[in-house]
Amino acid sequence: MNCLEFRRLVLIRPRLITAGRQAHPERCARCAGFAQSVAHDEAAIEQAMLVPVPEGLASRVLLRHGIRGPNRWSTLALAASLLAAVGVAFYFHEAPRQGDEIVSAQRFTANYTAVAAISYVLDHESRLLKENRAGDPKVMHAALSKLGLSLPANIGSVRYLGKCPVTGGIGEHVALETPLGHVTLILVPDQLFASRVVVSDRNLRAVAAPTRSGSYILIAESSSTLKRIEAMLM
Amino acid sequence: MVIDQERSKFEHVVRAYSAELYRYAYWLCRDRFTAEDLVQETFARAWQGWSGLRDDRAAKGWLYTILRNEHARLHERKQLAIDPDQELDELMDNSGANAFDAFEIRDMLAVLPETYREPLMLQVIGGFGCAEIATMIGITEGAVMTRLTRARQALRRLIDPKPLTRAKES
Repeated sequence: MNCLEFRRLVLIRPRLITAGRQAHPERCARCAGFAQSVAHDEAAIEQAMLVPVPEGLASRVLLRHGIRGPNRWSTLALAASLLAAVGVAFYFHEAPRQGDEIVSAQRFTANYTAVAAISYVLDHESRLLKENRAGDPKVMHAALSKLGLSLPANIGSVRYLGKCPVTGGIGEHVALETPLGHVTLILVPDQLFASRVVVSDRNLRAVAAPTRSGSYILIAESSSTLKRIEAMLM
Repeated sequence: MVIDQERSKFEHVVRAYSAELYRYAYWLCRDRFTAEDLVQETFARAWQGWSGLRDDRAAKGWLYTILRNEHARLHERKQLAIDPDQELDELMDNSGANAFDAFEIRDMLAVLPETYREPLMLQVIGGFGCAEIATMIGITEGAVMTRLTRARQALRRLIDPKPLTRAKES
């Protein structure tokens, strides 16, 4: 096997091991380095493709087909999660998606969830940050996971983690210092927001959106940071 | 009795493959909710045709093919709101690449043309060989190999923009 053939095969199927594939890099250091570099990239690609899977997906599929006879409590839990999913679908159907159209806060009342969250951040967050109550990232990841969300492990430091008021309930307030800048994440486990809305108020942008089992509000100084952190939340 | 056996077999298949099918669906449509709907629809169709499945080992490939067809049907009904230009803009903005490797690579995967991304997904997520992928997407095995090579070359250029070292024939 020559170098060209070896490299072609490595790019077609990096994980395949054959006698020829093993022998060539032993006598060609450059190809050994190439194979190592492809293997490194492959691991990164695989990691990126493994997007989080919604909790209870298999059970929801089975429930739909009446395949599984789960106990009473798990039936209720599954029914609740189905209702939540149907609720989200209904809301999406009823309220047209606004996409990334950024709506000025003036179009909403001060009580509107995303607007109220921005006000809360502007009014209280700087004081809360001074309390130096850095949060445990594990707690944050657990709270995210309850909503079917996740963030990369190296997202940055959790500068504050605590409860906060949100319109109609209580949320988990997470202040994050990321390489893209400071962002605030408010997780609302008990409410399904009607639709995804991006709001601009004073110098902040906020997106409020439903998940399968709750909602979140993400607040940042710029639209690009907001968009990129939100994409990571999936 | 036979029905119970079939139900149990179906349950096993759902538990074994729903996660990877969801990931495949996600990369086809890039929308969490649509991806779950596609998985649900795939298993609904699979259950309808379950009695026709002769070889259990073929179940995985069969499910992927159903999902792929469901996605194509969905595309026919409505064009999903994917803005390729917007994603290209994001790809250019590579700040903080070291901190967010997986996120950056997801961006890169998203801008990879579907013809290249799909064989790569089927290989990486589904673990299929080139011949199986060729059958699934209706192209030759040689074409699958070419697409896999080009997809990886493109991603490697994006991940590490340094010029690739050329192979010398030995």
